Amino acid sequence: MAQAVLNKLPEAEEYSEPVSEPNNALVIRGLNKRFGSETVLDGLSFSIAEGESLVLLGPSGSGKSTTLRLIAGLETPDDGEIFLHGRHVEGLRARERNIGVIFQNYALFPRMTVADNIGFGLKIRGKKKAEREAKIEELLSMIGMTEHRDKYPSQISGGQQQRVAIARALAYAPELLLFDESFSALDPQTRTGLRREIRALLQKLKIPALFVTHDQEEAMELGDYIAILNKGRLEQIGTPQEIYNDPQSEFVATFLGAANVVEVCRNDGLVALDCRQCPGVSSEDKAAQMPPTVEREKIIFRPEDVVLTTAPALAEHQRHLGHGVVVDVNFTGATEFVRVKLLSLNQFGYITNANCQLIGDNSCDLIIKVLRTKWEAQRMPLKPKDKVGVWLRDHKTLSNYEN
Amino acid sequence: MSGSTSNQTFSRQRTDVVRPLGIGFVILAMTPLVMLPLASIFYYGFNKGPIHFWEAVSAPAALYSLRLSLMTSSVATVCNVLFGIIAAYVMYKYRFKGSSALMIIISLPTAIPTAVAGVALLLVWGRSGIFGKLLEYTDYQVMFTTAAIILANIFVTFPLAFGVIKPALDNLDPSYEAAAETMGATRWQTFCYVVLPSLRGAIITGALLTFARSIGEFGSTIMVSGNKAKTMTAPLYIYAKFNEAEAESATAIAAVLAVISFVVFSLILLTRNRLDK
Repeated sequence: MAQAVLNKLPEAEEYSEPVSEPNNALVIRGLNKRFGSETVLDGLSFSIAEGESLVLLGPSGSGKSTTLRLIAGLETPDDGEIFLHGRHVEGLRARERNIGVIFQNYALFPRMTVADNIGFGLKIRGKKKAEREAKIEELLSMIGMTEHRDKYPSQISGGQQQRVAIARALAYAPELLLFDESFSALDPQTRTGLRREIRALLQKLKIPALFVTHDQEEAMELGDYIAILNKGRLEQIGTPQEIYNDPQSEFVATFLGAANVVEVCRNDGLVALDCRQCPGVSSEDKAAQMPPTVEREKIIFRPEDVVLTTAPALAEHQRHLGHGVVVDVNFTGATEFVRVKLLSLNQFGYITNANCQLIGDNSCDLIIKVLRTKWEAQRMPLKPKDKVGVWLRDHKTLSNYEN
Repeated sequence: MSGSTSNQTFSRQRTDVVRPLGIGFVILAMTPLVMLPLASIFYYGFNKGPIHFWEAVSAPAALYSLRLSLMTSSVATVCNVLFGIIAAYVMYKYRFKGSSALMIIISLPTAIPTAVAGVALLLVWGRSGIFGKLLEYTDYQVMFTTAAIILANIFVTFPLAFGVIKPALDNLDPSYEAAAETMGATRWQTFCYVVLPSLRGAIITGALLTFARSIGEFGSTIMVSGNKAKTMTAPLYIYAKFNEAEAESATAIAAVLAVISFVVFSLILLTRNRLDK
């Protein structure tokens, strides 16, 4: 199990714990890294279990590539611990860690043939030529490139280069594979095919892997677990389903998949749309009007969780968010994207009576995204300026969020 | 549509005067400046027939001067290429205080007039120079020997190899080295197996440039050679023969030097096209 570990440095007594469970291939604890005055990693902790894959997902500048370089030994952490199969490695050089890295541009040695590239790690380890050749042949046939063995990297395609890069890393039986944005340079079709192949390969060989990417689709497809990184901190770690269905922060919700975020005020169990961000209403005005008992919350819901109706009532388990006007409709084939401007917020949350207190202007220029299936779209065609009721199948409430 | 077709025909028929004039000017200007002088070396070299040419070239002093030039240039080339590789790698790998100043100093010798370079070497290695004084304690002096010619060649061609290798290194993707390192290679193994092969083209080009430049070196050599038969390189031999009014001997050796330069030059062009893809 990849565990969501402590976001901060472990307390004193936690240091006396066993260093890592035996089934953990990689354990990262309290990793800190600064470049000059810029903090790139801020107390990062996570672990990867034996034979499992973890995707570090985050925007550029979130520290994910730095994390990979720290694990590989290409950078030194300012603080923190890295364990590889229970052994301290942060003091070891990159070449002593026995980790396979697949670089963004694959970094195949341009003056070596495919076969020589694959055999390089074995050559360095002083393996005999016959042994090397046998391993090269085995790997070449595994990646289906036996006939390309004497070609140079510049003579094969990007997808083939990536296969060679993986074979080259696998040749010396690394304890962990690191993929640094390894799919971003490929065209979409090759990318999807290769991802599937690699997933199958990793599952077959049971080699733990860490992927670094900013591509959410890639993260969902490749990771047994996904760790979302933001500004050098771990936002959330979990299975793709957990992260998508139960995001713990607005950042996670909006970074992995599309999400609508609506700010509301809760006052004595009553909820109202917070229009602070609406044009014409300054936040000072709002603050002044807001009674002291008001708590602010955010409601997060996915576009596919929204149901639009023209009829007044719906099934009980769906909550009425309010009324809106269709802004535009975008048909993409299997699905349809509808943008709806919310006009008012009705009772929401855990109150069902109509005794809702609206604070301030109740016609906000708040536009939400709605995803409808082809069938829904056929049953109830919509066009711009249509009035609709907005209901939610599912939502998540975030309180105590940071602004 | 027919209108545009006739328009095209018209513009094709119109004679462009600038084109032939421009090409003609370039060739005309080059004829007295470059082409005629080059051609005349071979014309006068073989003027009196191949037998005379062969006699002039195979004269012991002439052969000696050619061999000396080839030898000193080769040694200087090896030294400067080795230095160039090391210096380029150090400057590529490490940023330090004064590294840009050092870069400029490395590149300086080509900008210095060769006669000045000769004087500078004399000031250091001559009997009153700092190294010259140290050498007083031995029986050996560097100035006015073969070693002096090599020193002069090294000085004058110092930055040439470096100047070709450094940009090639700067273009080298740092992830190659990182990859080799993660695969278990030591720094030395990474350098030998990954960095050096990538510099192959630059190293050969740098070597040829250095060699071509030093085989024709005259200004600094004449200062440090001491006008002795033992230290007479091919360019010095040509100069001496002209002074002795033996123009045929001079032109024959000049033709040989010119051929060597042409060969080296074509090799440079070839390597650039072949290896630096």
